Amino acid sequence: MESLRLSNRRTFLKGSAALVVAALPLPALAGEDRAAVVLGTWYKLLLELIRHTATYSPPVASRAFAYLGVTVFEALATGNPALRSLSGQVRDLPPLPARDAGAHDEACVLEGALAHAMAAHFGNTGPTGQRAMQAMAGKMADVAGAGVAADVAARSRAHGVAVSEHILAWSANDGGAVIENMGFPYDYALGGEPQDWVPTSTIAVQQKPLLPGWGTNRPFAIPETGPCGLVPPLAYSEEPDSAFYAEAKEVYDISRSLTDEQKTIARFWSDDPMLSPTPPGHWVSILLQIFARDAVPVDRQAELLAMLGMAISDGFVQCWRSKYEHDLIRPVSYIRRVIDPKWEPLLITPPFPEYPSGHSTQTGAAAAVLEGLMGEGFAFDDATHEDDGLPVRSFPSFWAAAEEAAVSRIYGGIHFRAACDNGLVQGRCVAGHILGLKTRA
Amino acid sequence: MAEGPVIPEFIEETATAGLATSYMGDWQYMVGGGAAVFDCDGDARLDVFIAGGAGAAGLYRNRSDLGGNLRFEPVTGMAVEAVTGAYALDVDSDGITDLAVMRVGENHLMRGLGDGKFERANEAWGFDGGDAWSTAFAATWEAEQDWPTLAVGNYVNRKEEAFPWGSCTDNWLHRPASTDSGAGFAPPLPLTPSYCALSMLFSDWSGKGSRDLRVSNDREYYKGGQEQLWHMEAAPRLWSEAEGWKRLRIWGMGIASRDLDADGATELYLTSMADNKLQVLDPEAGGLPQYKDQALKRGITAHRPFTGGDLRPSTAWHAQFDDVNNDGRADLFVVKGNVSAMPDFAQKDPNNLFLQAADGTFVEGAEAAGVLSFATGRGGALADFNGDGALDMLVVNRGEAAQVWRNVSKGLGGFVTVDLAQTGANLDAIGAWVEVKTDAGLQRREVTVGGGHMSGILAPLHFGIGHAAQAQVRVIWPDGLASDWISANPGTAVVLQR
Repeated sequence: MESLRLSNRRTFLKGSAALVVAALPLPALAGEDRAAVVLGTWYKLLLELIRHTATYSPPVASRAFAYLGVTVFEALATGNPALRSLSGQVRDLPPLPARDAGAHDEACVLEGALAHAMAAHFGNTGPTGQRAMQAMAGKMADVAGAGVAADVAARSRAHGVAVSEHILAWSANDGGAVIENMGFPYDYALGGEPQDWVPTSTIAVQQKPLLPGWGTNRPFAIPETGPCGLVPPLAYSEEPDSAFYAEAKEVYDISRSLTDEQKTIARFWSDDPMLSPTPPGHWVSILLQIFARDAVPVDRQAELLAMLGMAISDGFVQCWRSKYEHDLIRPVSYIRRVIDPKWEPLLITPPFPEYPSGHSTQTGAAAAVLEGLMGEGFAFDDATHEDDGLPVRSFPSFWAAAEEAAVSRIYGGIHFRAACDNGLVQGRCVAGHILGLKTRA
Repeated sequence: MAEGPVIPEFIEETATAGLATSYMGDWQYMVGGGAAVFDCDGDARLDVFIAGGAGAAGLYRNRSDLGGNLRFEPVTGMAVEAVTGAYALDVDSDGITDLAVMRVGENHLMRGLGDGKFERANEAWGFDGGDAWSTAFAATWEAEQDWPTLAVGNYVNRKEEAFPWGSCTDNWLHRPASTDSGAGFAPPLPLTPSYCALSMLFSDWSGKGSRDLRVSNDREYYKGGQEQLWHMEAAPRLWSEAEGWKRLRIWGMGIASRDLDADGATELYLTSMADNKLQVLDPEAGGLPQYKDQALKRGITAHRPFTGGDLRPSTAWHAQFDDVNNDGRADLFVVKGNVSAMPDFAQKDPNNLFLQAADGTFVEGAEAAGVLSFATGRGGALADFNGDGALDMLVVNRGEAAQVWRNVSKGLGGFVTVDLAQTGANLDAIGAWVEVKTDAGLQRREVTVGGGHMSGILAPLHFGIGHAAQAQVRVIWPDGLASDWISANPGTAVVLQR
C-alpha cells in the first residue's frame, strides 16, 4: 500500500474554501478544485444527515460511510489507471461499469455519483434533510459543471450514477440495508443469567438491544466468522475479591473522582447518535479536516474515505458479532446491583451489550488504517464538536486519539476496561484485513 | 382485580360542527398547528382560533347549546395566514381576552374588542413581532408588574437551505416597558442560547412560589443544546449543572404539566418522537430540578401506535392533562402525527387518550372512548364546549380539517369549575394555584399560559370530583396569599375573586 505522508501540524483552517460553496467564483475553479468542493461539500452534508436521520445508529452509519466511500473511489478509479478497483478484492463486488467513449470530467462524475448515492442512502431522512439534499444537488451540479462542455458533463454524471447504482445493487443484500424500528427488534429474548445484558434505560423501544443481528452482515474484508483477536471478557463474579468486581470497582471509583479533563474527554468521544455524527462519523470528520488542512488530492481523498469507511464498517460487524456472543452486562447494571444502587454514570449507557466497546473496536480499526496509509506520528487537530460547544483537541497520532477514545468510555462509566483495551486490539485486527486491499495499480 | 378507570364516551361531530380550518403548508409548517380556546365574545362559551399554516387561520364563535351538539360559526377578520399557533390572555388587563398569534414571519398581538372582534396592537403596545419562525409561547406576570412577560420560542433559520442544522434563532423575552415609557413592552430580550423551542411554560415547578421558564427543544436542529430551565431574574440565566440541572436531549415538542400527586411539585409530560417522558421531581434531590422518567412505569411512553397495525415509532406533539371522566384523576391526551412522510415513523399514528387509574398508572382509552383518529395531528384541546361538565375534544390536523368530539358519557362523576378574577392587573390570576379537596384527596392545578404544542386554553379550570357530595375549593394567588376554603356542590361554577 502506498503511503502518503503529509506535513503534520499545519494550522487547521476552519471553513476552508473547499467547503464554502457561497464563496465560489464560478466558473473559475480548475477541475481538481471543483471535484474537491463536490466531494467535501457532499460529505459535510453526509455528516449532518447521519446525525439527523433516526435509523442511523453507529453501525448503520458505518455502513453508509463504507459504501459511499467505495462509491467515490470506484467512480474515480474507472477513469484513473493509477487506482485499482476493489472488485475482486472485497467480498462479492462485481466489476464496475466501464466509462463510455469520450471525455469525462471527474467533478461531474463525483457529483453524479454522490447525488445519486446520497438520495438512496437517505431516502428515509426527514423533510429538512430532503430539502437540504435538493438544494445541495442543485448547487453541486452548478459547481461541477462550471466551464464543462454540456455533453462531457452529461456523460460524466451518467457514469457517476451508473457507478452508484452498481454499488447500491451490491450493497442491497449485505444484511444491513433495511432498518426497522430504529434498529430495535420487536421480539428478543433476554439471556436471563446474572452476567447477561439487561436494559439500562426507561425508554420503551430500548428494552430490546440494538441490532442483534448486525454481526451476521456481509463484511468487506474480514473473515465471516471468528473473533479477530478478541479474547473473552473476564469471568463474571459478584465476589469482592474477583477480577470482575475489581474491574467494575475501577469504573465506579473513577466516576467519583473525575477530573474536568476526564469529563471533557468522555464527552468529546461520546458521539451520541442523533446528537453527533456518531463514532464512525467522528473519524470521517477527522479525515475531512485533514483534507482541508493539507489540500489532499481528490483521488487520495477518495482512496482514504473508502479505506476508512470499510475499516469502521467491518469494525462494527466484527464488534457486534462479539457483543452478542458474550452478551455482557453494562457497568450501570452491575454497579447498581452489587456496589451502589444509586450510582449514575456520566454518559448515557448505549442500549446493547457491553463487550467489547464498539467505539474502541471501530476506533482501533480507523486509527490503524489511517496510520497504515498516512504514517505513524501523523498529528492533527480535531474540531469535530466545535459547533456543539466542545473544545478542539490535538493529537500527536491517530493511535493516540484511538487510545483516548477508548479510555473515554471508562470515564463515561459505560464500559469496563477490558472492553476498551481489547476492543482496540480487535480494531487493529480488522484494520489488518483492510490494509491488505490494494487501491493503487 | 382492581377496577379500571371509567371509559368515557365521545361521538365525533366534525362533519357538523362547522370547523373548516386545516393546518396547511410545506416545510415551514411541518411543526406548529395549534389552537387557542377561550371566550372571545363574553357569552361564557369557549370559542376557538385555529392556526391555518400557509392557509388562513380561523376564528370560530361557539354556538353550541348547553349540553347539545357542538356547533361553531366562523368570525370574519382573523383570517391571517402563516399562523403556527396562538394563546389567549388578557394582555392589557381590560377584562377582554386578547390573543398572541405566533407566525412564520411577524408575530401579532391582537387586542380583544369584545363580541369576537380584534385589532392589531403591536404598535400600540410596543410589541416587536420580529421576523422568525415562531413555534412556542408562554406568558406570566412577574412580581409587581401590570403587564405580562411574554416568551416567544423560535425555530430554525428558515432561510438556510442546505445546512439549517445549528441555526436555531434566538427565543425572545418581551418584558413590560419601564413605567417611565408607558404601557406595553420593552424591546425583546434574546434568550441566548436558544435551541429551537417547540414548547415553553412559565411554571412554579417546585411549588415554592417562583416561576421559571421551562423550554422544550427539538434536538433535530440544535447543536450543543438540551432542554432548558431559565431563572426568571432581572437578567434571565439558565439553571446550570452546578445547580443540579441534568441534561436531557429529546425531540422536545410539547409540554403538559400537572401536579399529579398533589405533593406541591409539578410533573411534566414531554412529547417527542418514539418515547415520551413523564418527568417526576426526584424527592431526594432536595428541591433541585432533577427528574425521574416514570413514563414506562406508568404506561404512557406512547412510543408506537396502540392500534392500526403500524408498528413504527410514533410522533407526538400536543399534550394535556385533564379529567375526561370526572373521576378526580387527571387523564392524559396526546396528539400524534407524522412530521411529513418520514418512513421510519408511523404514518397511521392515532392520538392517545390515557385514563388514569387509582394507582397512578394510565390505561389507553382512545379507541374505546370513540376518539380514534389516524389523521396527522398537531395541536388540540380538551375543553367543555357545550357547558355540560364533561370535557370535549378538539384536534388540529395537518392537511386535514380540525376534528371535534363531543363527550356524551352517561353517569360520569361530578365536577366543579373554578374561575379566578383579580382587580388591577393579571385579571385571570395567571400563576395562581387552585386546590380542590374531597374525601378522595387533594387536587392541585397551576393556572398557566403556554405549553402544549402551540395550543392553549384560557377558561375556568375543570375538576372532576368523582362521586363526592361536596368539594372544598381555594386559590393560592400568584403573590402567594391563599384564600379560605369554600364548599362547592357538584356542578358548581365557582368564581374566586379578590
